[in-house]
Amino acid sequence: MTLLLPDLLLLLLAALILAFDLYKGEEASSSNVTFHICWIGLMTIFFVLLGLPYDEQALYLGGYQVTGISLLFKQIFVLSAFLTVLLSKPYFTPGGNYRGILQYRSEFLFIILLCTFGMFTVVSAVDLLTLFIGMELATIPLYILSGYQKEDRLSVEASTKYIIMGSLSTGLLLFGYSFLYGCAGSLTFEAIAAACTANPDEPLLKLGVLFVLASIGFKLTLFPFHMWAPDVYDGAPSPVTAFISVSSKAVAIAFLLILVYGPLAAMHSYLQPILLVLAAATMTVGNLGALKQQRLRRFMAYSSIAQAGYIIMAMAGNAEAAYSSIIFYLFVYAAANYAIFFILSIIGRNGEENLSGLRGMGKKNPVLAAVLMLTLFSLAGIPPLAGFMGKFLLFAAAAQEGYYAMVVFAALNSTISLYYYLLLMKEAYITQPKSSKKPLRLDSIQKTSLAFLTFAMVFAGILPVFSSNILAVVQ
Amino acid sequence: MNGPLLLTLIWLIPFGIALASLMVRHDDHQRIKMLSLLGTMINLVLVITLTLQFLDVAAVNNTVTDTSLSTFHFVYKVAWFKIMNIEYNIGVDAISVLMMLLTAIVIFCGVLASWNVKEQVKEFFILLNVLVAGVYGVFISIDLFTFFLFYEIAVLPMYLLIGLWGTGKKEYAAMKLTLMLVAGSAFILAGILALYFESGLNTFDLQLLSQVHFSDSFQYWVFPIIFLGFGVLGAIFPFHTWSPDGHASAPTAVSMLHAGVLMKLGGYGCLRVAMYLLPEGAHMWMTFFLILVTINVLYGAFGAIRQTDLKYITAYSSVSHCGLVLFGFTAMTFTGLKGGVLQMISHGLMTALFFCLIGMIYGRTHTRTVSEMGGLMKVMPFLSVAFVVVGFAGLGLPGLSGFVAEANVFVGSFANPATINRVCTVLAVLSIVVTAVYVLRTVNALVNGPISLRFKELTDASLLEKVPVTILLFCLFGMGILPGWIIDLVNGAVHPIYNNLMR
Repeated sequence: MTLLLPDLLLLLLAALILAFDLYKGEEASSSNVTFHICWIGLMTIFFVLLGLPYDEQALYLGGYQVTGISLLFKQIFVLSAFLTVLLSKPYFTPGGNYRGILQYRSEFLFIILLCTFGMFTVVSAVDLLTLFIGMELATIPLYILSGYQKEDRLSVEASTKYIIMGSLSTGLLLFGYSFLYGCAGSLTFEAIAAACTANPDEPLLKLGVLFVLASIGFKLTLFPFHMWAPDVYDGAPSPVTAFISVSSKAVAIAFLLILVYGPLAAMHSYLQPILLVLAAATMTVGNLGALKQQRLRRFMAYSSIAQAGYIIMAMAGNAEAAYSSIIFYLFVYAAANYAIFFILSIIGRNGEENLSGLRGMGKKNPVLAAVLMLTLFSLAGIPPLAGFMGKFLLFAAAAQEGYYAMVVFAALNSTISLYYYLLLMKEAYITQPKSSKKPLRLDSIQKTSLAFLTFAMVFAGILPVFSSNILAVVQ
Repeated sequence: MNGPLLLTLIWLIPFGIALASLMVRHDDHQRIKMLSLLGTMINLVLVITLTLQFLDVAAVNNTVTDTSLSTFHFVYKVAWFKIMNIEYNIGVDAISVLMMLLTAIVIFCGVLASWNVKEQVKEFFILLNVLVAGVYGVFISIDLFTFFLFYEIAVLPMYLLIGLWGTGKKEYAAMKLTLMLVAGSAFILAGILALYFESGLNTFDLQLLSQVHFSDSFQYWVFPIIFLGFGVLGAIFPFHTWSPDGHASAPTAVSMLHAGVLMKLGGYGCLRVAMYLLPEGAHMWMTFFLILVTINVLYGAFGAIRQTDLKYITAYSSVSHCGLVLFGFTAMTFTGLKGGVLQMISHGLMTALFFCLIGMIYGRTHTRTVSEMGGLMKVMPFLSVAFVVVGFAGLGLPGLSGFVAEANVFVGSFANPATINRVCTVLAVLSIVVTAVYVLRTVNALVNGPISLRFKELTDASLLEKVPVTILLFCLFGMGILPGWIIDLVNGAVHPIYNNLMR
C-alpha cells in the first residue's frame, strides 16, 4: 500500500481541514490554523512522494494504478496545490488585496485539496470511467473557486462562464466515450487499445476520438475552444487563476497523454497532424492575443494558451520523448507561472494587477525586478533558464519525427511571445512611473516562495539531474 | 596553464564578475567599475596567454595539410544533459582564438569607455559581463547545443542595455534588435535539431557532424535556414534593419561590443555551422546569397552617404563592411574564406574604435549631427587624429588592417571563375569608392573648417579615454603592418572548412 500513501494522506488532510472547520468554525475563520495544517500537510505529502520507488507499479482494486509516471504527475499537482495555498494567504488577510478580502478560508483549502485528489485519480486511471470521474472531480471544484470573490461581478461572470463551458465539454467527452465504447465493447484501456490496434481506420473510432479531443481542448484551452480562458482567468481570484493555469492544465495534458500513448497508441499517426494543427493554431492565437493585454491575469491567460500550444506540439513525438519533455516542461512552467502570480499578489496589495503596477520596479525593488526578468525569460525560453531546456526538449520531440517546419513555426512563435514578455520588462525597468512610488512590500512567505521558485528555474536549466531523473522514470 | 581550464576560466570570469557585482552596494559605482575593469584585464591576460599557447601548439602541429579535417586544440568534453547526449564540449581553432582576442581587447576598451555611465551602474556592468561571457562561450563551443545556448545569452542582455542606457528611439531600437535576432535564432534552433536527428549519431559534436554526408535534399532546405539564421546577426540584406537603429541607440560600450564582436558571431556561425556542416547546400545556395550580400555591401555604403548622424553613418558602414565578411565566405574560394575571417577581425577593431570615438565626441558636443560640428581638430586634436586614422582604415588604406582584409576578400572572390562572382566582385569593389566618399566627407566636416562658438571650450580626451583609443589604434596598425602571423593562423583554420566545402 505504500504507493497509495500520498493519495490516502491527501484525503486525510482534506478531511482534517473540513473537520477542524466544522468543530472550530468560528475561530478557524479568523485564525491561520487550517492554513498552516494545509501547507505543512502538502509539504509532507510531497516529501512522501519523493521517497517512493519510481520503478515499481501496482494496481489497486482493479481500477487504480500507480506508476512512476503517475507519481511524477502527482508531484506536479501537490507542488501546485502547495504553492496555491501559500499564494492565497494575502487574499484572506485584511488589506492583502485591492479586490477585498476573501471569506471561508477552510472551505477554500478543502476544495483545493479535493480538486487535487481528482487529479490524482486521473493519472491513476486504467479505464475511461475512472478517467471521467477524476476529470470531473478535478474540474467541478474549480467552478466554485472561480466564483469565490462573491461580491465581484467579474468573478461571478467567470464562474458562470466556466460552468457552461465545462458542462459542454463534459457532454462532448461523454459523447466521444460512447463511440469508443461502441467500438471496443468495454471501457477499459486494454479493450480500447485492442480495438484500435485491430482496426485503426474505423471511422466511428476516429469520430469518438475527435469528440474526446474537442472536450479536452476546452480544459487545455486549445484553439478554438480557448475563448473562456481570458474571462475566467481575469475574473477569478488570483490564487485560483494560478491553480487553473497550472494544475487544471497539467491534468488535461496528463489526460491527453494517457489516452494518446495508452489506448489510442495505434492511432498516433492519425492524431499527429491533428495535434500539430491544433498546436500551431493554439500558440499563434495565444501569442497574438497576449500582445495587447493590459490586465496581467488576462495576459497570463493568453500566455498560458500559447504555452499549451508548445506542449501539445511535443505529442507529435514518440511516447518516451513526449512524456519526458512534457513532464519536465510542466515543472518548469509551473515554477514560472507561480513566480508571476506571486509577483501579481505583491502588486495586488496596492492596486489593480495590471501592467502599470509594474512600473518603477527596476529602481525601487531591484531584486524583485530581477526575479521578474528571470521568470519572463524562462517563460519565453531564453537560456540558461529552465524554460529554454524545457522548450528545447519539446521542440526536439517534434523534430525527432521530422516536423522541422513545425519547429521553425513554434520557435518563431516564441519570438512573438518574447515581445510581450519584454513589454512587461520594459514596464518594470524602462518606463518611469508618473508619481514616485514606495517600494513594494513582500511578506516572508512571498520572499521564500519566490526565492525557491527562482532557484528552481535557474538550476533546472543548468543542472541535468532534474531532466535525467524524469527521463529515467519514463524509460 | 592547462588549455581547457583556461578556456573555461575565460568565460567563467565575466560570469563571476557579474555575480560579484551583485554583492556590491548599488551606489558604490567606483567599486563596480573597478571590478569589471579588473575582470576584463585578467581576461585580456588570459586570452593573450591562450593565444601564445595556441601559437606554440600550432607550431608543433604544423602538419596542417590540405587534407586535414579539423584543427581544434585544447579539446575537452564532459557529459552534461543525459537527454539527447548534450555535452560540455570545448576547444578552439585559430579563428576562435583570434575572435576571442578581439573580444578581450574590445571589451577592455569598452569598460574604459563606459566609465562615465552614471545611472544604474550596477545593472549596466552586470549585463555587460553576462553578454561578454556569452560571447566567449560561443567561441569555445564545439557542441552545437552549448553554442546555441551561449549565443542566446549573448543576444538577450542587449535589450536592457539599449533600452535602459541608450539614447534616441531606444525602446523601439532595443525591441527591434532583440526580436529580429531571436527570430534568427529560431531558425538556427530548428536547423540544429534537424542536423542532430538527421545525422542519427545522437551527438551535437561539430567535429563528428562535419564528417556526416547529409543528403542533398536535406542540405537544400537546412542550409539556407541556418545561414539566414546566423545571417540576421551578420546583418545580411534584407534582415539588416535592426543594425542601424540598434547601434545608433546603444550606449558607447554596447555599440562597440555589438558592432565589434557580436555581429561577428553571425559570420562565425555561418562559417562554422552552415558552411562547415552543409557544404553541398552551400554550393547550391551560394549564388543566391552572393547576390544578397553584394546588395548588402553596396546598400550599406550608399545608406551611409545619406545619413547625417555620426552613429548612423558608422552603423550603415558596419552593414557594408559586415557584408564584406559574408562576401568573402560566399566566394567559396580559399582566399575568400580567409579574407572573410580577416575582415571579421579588422572590422571588429575598426568599428569598435569608431563607436568609442563617437561616444567620446558626443559626450563633449552633445550632438551627433555632422553638419553642426566642424573644426574639432582645434580643440580635440587627439580624438580628431584618431578619427581620421580609423576613417582611413575604413576605406582600406594600406598599412591599416582594413586593407589586408579587403584585399583578401576581393582577390578571393574574383578568383572564383563563375561569371556571377566576377560581376558581383566588380560591383562590390565599387563600394570602396562610395566608402571613400562618406568617410572623407564625414571626417572633413568633423575636424576641418571653422569651429562654432559653443564648441570652443571643449577639452581633448582625458588620460583615461586615451588608453582605449591608443590600444585600438595600435591594433589597427599592428594588423595592417604585421598581418603575417594572423594570416598564417587563419590559413590553418580555414583549411578544414575549405576541404569540407570541396569534398
